[in-house]
Amino acid sequence: MAKDELAGAIAGLDQEKVLSLVKERLQAGVKPMELIGNLQEGMARVGDLFEEGEFFLSELILCGEIMKEAMGLLEPELAAGDRQYRGTIVIGTVKGDIHDLGKNIVVMLLRGAGYKVIDLGVDVAPEKFVQSARENETPLVAMSMLLTSAMGTMKECVQAIKESGLNTRVLIGGPIIDDKVMQFSGADYGSTIASDATKIAEKVFKTA
Amino acid sequence: MAEKTSLFEERKKRYQAAMNLEKPDRVPIRLNFSGEFITKVAGYTFQETYYDWQKNNDATRKMLEKISDLEMVIGGANLWWAALHDAVGAKYLRFAGRDLDAETMFQYVEEPYMLPEDYDDFIENPTEWIATTYLPRIHTELAEPGSYRATAGLIKGAFGLAQQLGSGAEAMASYQRDFGVVPTITGISKAPFDTLADTLRGLSGIMLDLYQRPEKVKKALEVLVPHNIFYGMATAQGDTDFPVFMPLHRGAYPFMKMEQWVEFYWPSLKQVVEGLWSNGKRTMFYAENIWTPYLEKIAELPEKSIIFHVDQTDMEKAHQVLGGRFCLSGNVPNSLLAFGKPEEVKEYVKRLLDKYARDGGFILDAGAVILDDAKEENIRALIEAGLEYGVY
Repeated sequence: MAKDELAGAIAGLDQEKVLSLVKERLQAGVKPMELIGNLQEGMARVGDLFEEGEFFLSELILCGEIMKEAMGLLEPELAAGDRQYRGTIVIGTVKGDIHDLGKNIVVMLLRGAGYKVIDLGVDVAPEKFVQSARENETPLVAMSMLLTSAMGTMKECVQAIKESGLNTRVLIGGPIIDDKVMQFSGADYGSTIASDATKIAEKVFKTA
Repeated sequence: MAEKTSLFEERKKRYQAAMNLEKPDRVPIRLNFSGEFITKVAGYTFQETYYDWQKNNDATRKMLEKISDLEMVIGGANLWWAALHDAVGAKYLRFAGRDLDAETMFQYVEEPYMLPEDYDDFIENPTEWIATTYLPRIHTELAEPGSYRATAGLIKGAFGLAQQLGSGAEAMASYQRDFGVVPTITGISKAPFDTLADTLRGLSGIMLDLYQRPEKVKKALEVLVPHNIFYGMATAQGDTDFPVFMPLHRGAYPFMKMEQWVEFYWPSLKQVVEGLWSNGKRTMFYAENIWTPYLEKIAELPEKSIIFHVDQTDMEKAHQVLGGRFCLSGNVPNSLLAFGKPEEVKEYVKRLLDKYARDGGFILDAGAVILDDAKEENIRALIEAGLEYGVY
């Protein structure tokens, strides 16, 4: 169980309680950053529950909606420069593919873990990944894919990062990632499991 | 001609024997190709076969000429005729040549086209709601019902669909005549939950509904049951020789936890399969991705009423729980067909058949729909291995 009540309400997927606690605490003068910390603690628990097989995609989607609403209350209260991140990660679904479920879950988990995530959306061209990685000086770019037929462009996207001269690692994610796909794409990390993204990010940012 | 007719009869007999859990002369080979794979083999661009329906039908013919020993096909290359969707201004599909490069696969744009507040009207009269609210919402040409433009759009749409279906049926008859191939399926239907989740509420919409309006979801599923049984029979034109195709989506693991699956996904799907079976129609239970946790529930279906198709479901467990009750098919990994070597494919097929096809009731196929990333040489290797190791 989470120690904080708000964190517990997120992990318990209690939408009403989350929103009323956020409003209550804001009114009581609690700093928005502290509330974001509570929400992140709850999110981390949700990630663990998914990994343990307690939670399924339906729970993650609901949790994402609750987080979106809670952040909607908090964002207007945040002053510029208030937020502190563990680092920046660029993410997108590769060109030729528009499936975003897996990507959105990974975005949610990474944000929950305290990273600033630049979400390039779906159908993202190789040069767009490179441009964003350069602009944001990120040590990690994450690429998502569902269709096996998008594998060719996945490889192009990975290669574009590798050939850009940037010191950036590439993580690929999707249900069909296996040894063959890893070898073919040339990516540094890969997984079929959304919650692996936070572990891989931790590894990358420790050495970055 | 007589030779092709006897070839057709021989293949049909083999396919039906496997579906009835018998041992035919050898394991039937059924490959579920996407339009994009067929287009690539035929040497067209995607844009050409999406838009030019003659080329679409020629593409399958060219594939049958190029890859010998194909026993079954679904029909012309693609499911969609892009020109028809252009005629009505479909917002939910993107095509090569219109929104995408000539060589990019079509895209389905998923949005919650049905809103939470639509549930009551949908439940009250789904057909009326579809005609008066849904179709205008998702087609630019039908946006203002009763207008000149919408009337013209409906005429173009109906005419286009009749053209597409007519030429598709003709093409299928010609493949049968010239190559002796049998239809993989006749007709198509869906799990009611997928009807609601794929095209109406969208994934995020339906997943929230499970928590926020579960009773409405159940009511909506209930009204879809007779519709989906009828749709399966109607699109098959009453045929019961071949199975109805049922591509299953949101019931795969891990979309929902077991309690949700049992409460929301399963009851209406079971009713549709049973309803079809009471009409003598078998279902190709096309379980893409992972279905391992649900095998025991699936075993509740009437014996032989489905062909259970294995993608990434644990093959050993599927064989253990469902073997001898339903015909099994599939399991050759699509990633192997895309990235493997022909000898690896052959080895996989040999192992698969040795282990799971011994007692009959087995159909050789890839795990999921074969996209254009599959190598032609690997498809040939799969067929060769099936012919060699599949003999009883």
